[in-house]
Amino acid sequence: MAATKASKEQKYDRQLRLWGDHGQESLESAHVCLINATATGTEILKNLVLPGIGAFTIVDGHTVSGEDVGNNFFLSNNSIGKNRAQAATELLQELNSDVSGNFVEESPNKLLDNNPEFFNRFTIVIGVQLPESTCLRLDSVLWSASVPFLVCKSYGLIGYMRLVVQEHSVIESHPDNALEDLRLNQPFAELKNHIQSYDLDSMDKKDHSHTPWIIIVAKHLERWLSEHNLQPPKNYKEKEAFRQFIREGIRKKENGVPEDEENFEEAIKNVNTALNPTKIPSTVEDLFNSEECNDVTSQTPSFWVMLRAVKEFALNEGNGSLPVRGTIPDMIADSQKFINLQNVYREKAMQDAAAVSKHVECLLQSIGKVGYSTYIANRRCRCLGKNSSFLRVVRCRSLAEEYSVDTVNKDEITSSMDNPDSEMVFYLMLRSVDRFYQQHSRYPGVYNYQVEDDISKLKLCVNSLLQEYSLNVNIKDDYIHEFCRYGAAEPHTVAAFLGGSAAQEAIKIISHQFVPFNNTFIYNAMSQTSATLQL
Amino acid sequence: VALSKVCNIYRKVLVVGAGGIGCELLKNLVLTGFKNIEVIDLDTIDVSNLNRQFLFQKKHVGKSKAQVAKESVLQFCPTVNITAYHDSIMNPDYNVEFFRNFMLVMNALDNRAARNHVNRMCLAADIPLIESGTAGYLGQVTVIKKGLTECYECQPKPTQKTFPGCTIRNTPSEPIHCIVWAKYLFNQLFGEEDADQEVSPDTADPEAACEQQRLEIHEHHTAARATASENDGDIKRVSTKDWARSTGYDAVKLFHKLFKDDIMYLLTMDKLWKTRKAPTPLVWQQLEDSASPQELSAGSGLKDQQVLGVWGLCQLFQHSVETLRSQLQEMGEGAELVWDKDDPPAMDFVTAAANLRMHIFSMNTKSRFDVKSMAGNIIPAIATTNAVIAGLIVLEGLKILSGELESCRTIFLNKCPNLRKKLLVPCILDPPIANCYVCASKPEVMVKLNVHKTTVLSLQDRILKERFGMVAPDVQIEDGKGTILISSEEGETETNNSKFLADFGIRNGSRLQVDDFLQDYTLLVNVLHTEELERDVEFEVVGEAPDKAPSPQTTPEEVNSVTNGNKDSAQPSTSSKAEDDDIMIVDSEEENEGASSSTAAATSGTKRKHSDAETGETSTKRPRTDQSSAAAAPTDDDDDDDIITLD
Repeated sequence: MAATKASKEQKYDRQLRLWGDHGQESLESAHVCLINATATGTEILKNLVLPGIGAFTIVDGHTVSGEDVGNNFFLSNNSIGKNRAQAATELLQELNSDVSGNFVEESPNKLLDNNPEFFNRFTIVIGVQLPESTCLRLDSVLWSASVPFLVCKSYGLIGYMRLVVQEHSVIESHPDNALEDLRLNQPFAELKNHIQSYDLDSMDKKDHSHTPWIIIVAKHLERWLSEHNLQPPKNYKEKEAFRQFIREGIRKKENGVPEDEENFEEAIKNVNTALNPTKIPSTVEDLFNSEECNDVTSQTPSFWVMLRAVKEFALNEGNGSLPVRGTIPDMIADSQKFINLQNVYREKAMQDAAAVSKHVECLLQSIGKVGYSTYIANRRCRCLGKNSSFLRVVRCRSLAEEYSVDTVNKDEITSSMDNPDSEMVFYLMLRSVDRFYQQHSRYPGVYNYQVEDDISKLKLCVNSLLQEYSLNVNIKDDYIHEFCRYGAAEPHTVAAFLGGSAAQEAIKIISHQFVPFNNTFIYNAMSQTSATLQL
Repeated sequence: VALSKVCNIYRKVLVVGAGGIGCELLKNLVLTGFKNIEVIDLDTIDVSNLNRQFLFQKKHVGKSKAQVAKESVLQFCPTVNITAYHDSIMNPDYNVEFFRNFMLVMNALDNRAARNHVNRMCLAADIPLIESGTAGYLGQVTVIKKGLTECYECQPKPTQKTFPGCTIRNTPSEPIHCIVWAKYLFNQLFGEEDADQEVSPDTADPEAACEQQRLEIHEHHTAARATASENDGDIKRVSTKDWARSTGYDAVKLFHKLFKDDIMYLLTMDKLWKTRKAPTPLVWQQLEDSASPQELSAGSGLKDQQVLGVWGLCQLFQHSVETLRSQLQEMGEGAELVWDKDDPPAMDFVTAAANLRMHIFSMNTKSRFDVKSMAGNIIPAIATTNAVIAGLIVLEGLKILSGELESCRTIFLNKCPNLRKKLLVPCILDPPIANCYVCASKPEVMVKLNVHKTTVLSLQDRILKERFGMVAPDVQIEDGKGTILISSEEGETETNNSKFLADFGIRNGSRLQVDDFLQDYTLLVNVLHTEELERDVEFEVVGEAPDKAPSPQTTPEEVNSVTNGNKDSAQPSTSSKAEDDDIMIVDSEEENEGASSSTAAATSGTKRKHSDAETGETSTKRPRTDQSSAAAAPTDDDDDDDIITLD
């Protein structure tokens, strides 16, 4: 076991640096379902097999055609005539021996007829190049089973992705410019004591210039507050004055010239960060106020139970604040002083996490759930505590809502279409070719001789779509011609692009790290542009 | 579909690099219908490639990337012609004639030296080039065509960070200094000895000398320089390696020399410690006695991500020295080890030695995982980003081949959709910069240096090769006589190497004509003599912002750093020379979770980003990466996220 762990560490080294070992763990316990092993499908799966998902199952009723071999790297000439799920599984499996590959030689429609629960077992279902009717059926089944559903399509030079998930919690959203959580405006008891233990005036020169800037700011803030009616510096002017106040704390040489004390410079630079008041971010406040958080029942998902526990913490032990994050930035200081300070924050974070996990326990007990592994709870509470200011919940609309005349997002469509070349036009065109498929059981322009006739037929579909939703928008004829010309082709480069993007989103969903897109993504390969739309 | 008719996909294309992007690119080219492809890569396959370089499997580890990539692709698509070269693209065999064989060149490289070189070769051969790079979730693709677009070197790239010798040997102040020191130490003990990689205390440190001595040093600097290589302030005349060998690589003896005796010696240079915190020597026995039992018990998480205690580091040091010693013995007399971040004992050794030194100099120690990031200049890399970028490359390629160069774009891939909901940000291609020192019609630069202190060798190695990216420069002085200073022919001008520029009459205002025949590139160097360069700075290119300390509030310009590709500072896997690559900083942003882990990398990132921002021109037209994920940070209030104007 240790040996395999070490070799995995080596193999996955470059990605562990992005999502950590716990991200990798969730990846390794994920079971991904791919419907249709077309070029786009196998490209997506390739990008999930390489980083090491636990297992995949391909569902595909098609047999491999010559055309498939032409654009799909994971099908070869001798797989022609075989079932496509099986042939692709064999070659994809070769990429990573740690991944278990399975296949079902049946169409999704048939599975939905006979065994609709089949799809409930997966961490995520990725449906590729599916007709509208099948998408809607899957949408309804997966929506009620709370299984995330990612719809992908490469159509000519257009790529399309749609994420359908009722509710997706993100614990580690990895914000780019998170503010430090230092609590200097309301230091907790242990921090107060620690600050007390320093006396800047009686230190020798070396210690003075190796005192962490956090202490320097805290010390000066203490004095500032006592001289200013307990009001911290608020505006620019006051902050400037406070900086000057710190600057005066720099030791002077015998000749009156200030010493070169980098830690003080660092303190001055960080005044803004340090004075940032501790408060609960509005995004988290909103989550606290939501029904799911306040109304915990035996059906409540664990994320909400934990969130409620964090709320309880904030209301009680936290005195209105979230658990302490427990990390401090690197700074100029000698090791001992730095480590001591770090430990103050770290221990407080552990304490807070323990308090949160106590609340979790109580909550679980109150809803009659016992025996929940406290080990897991503790670990997750620590992670939650560290990230509590960045918690996010993503809610997508279902396809049913998007497609229904009553709930269609008309505003988004019409306002985007103010620009007739907005990526929205491709969305409408994709909907129109779906409609064409429904009426003719084929996509427009697949054979060159059809292109001319199909243009007018597709135009009818476009108009009926716009009419049905009473959309007062104009679609240029050029786009209708272009979509006929595409002939539902699935060029490899577009598939490769979508393969990368879709797999990345799937990894976000699986690892609950980073915020996924919501809810539609369009890629235009001609102009190399993309857009996310909320539909 | 129609595209394949428009352009002639039977003509040859060249893929430079068969790594992360290269593998994806080969697949895409073949499936788009390209029939004749050549691929070149110097590298061999490593286990850590397997998470994304899908043409390779475990059984291929150690084999040529180019060769295995070719074989894997042929298995899937037996009808294409692929020629694979397991070689450096900087090898003179691949001359301008070679480049003219292709209708398109696509870079899938990981270092700047090779990128510069291919840029010049494509300019010389007038072949369109697609340049690309990824780092973590970020990526970029751009098109370069002589005379029409900026070349790879039109925009100054942030200079690669190096550290003064004194900082490394005497007064480290950041973990990276200790890591560089530990890598030098590895080479001094087990690898190829290099006079530039000394690790013992440097008594010639000007800072250590008192005022009077310092004056003398200035006056006698020229004289001192000549003898510098002989005594260079080292304590012992025996080389470090010989000494280590004489002890039989006794780990405890090594430990005492490095972490006790040398440190005590440094303490005697008391000038150094007037304003700095003095280092604390370590004594093996004391550490052993005071080792606490829980220091050995494992924390949570992966072994790699733990930060060891001092005694744990001592044991790691001892263990790794013993392993490396036996490796060396097995290889026989005169053998040398080559440091490799993916070789466990070598990495253990650097982790231990660097951390012990960090401890001595009162720095916060780092986990093996973090040390590896910094020592190996590791850029996180994943399959998905490479897949996206390789898809974009082929689409740009198709545009070029159908003669639609005007519709080509530079495309940036963001980590998440920006505030305008764009994941991809296409920018119009810029015309060449008129005074670019590479693609201008008569390239010219001004270099500030001290003609009495700069040797011909350092002109050649540091300035012409390292800074201006030449492979085999010839230098002629424009003194009316056409004196040849450097000839790329072996044996012609080597005797000049140790002489100073002044010895050849070079002075303020002198002009040097520098030719690189392989790159078909001529550069006119104007010499500006100066006595006022900072300590350990050999030269300065005029008009180039010097490295300064980073200001605190720099907006991340991640995309910019991607421009320079991903492993820029790392071992140039496709170039033959790996000169100073090891003393540079990771230029990516790390996303990893390990608590304080990425701070060092992040800080260094800021430095590079900062120097980018300083060049001004670059940053105004490159899009700024949207720092707030679509909904995340409320702190970002402006919406000028893509400042590109498509006019």
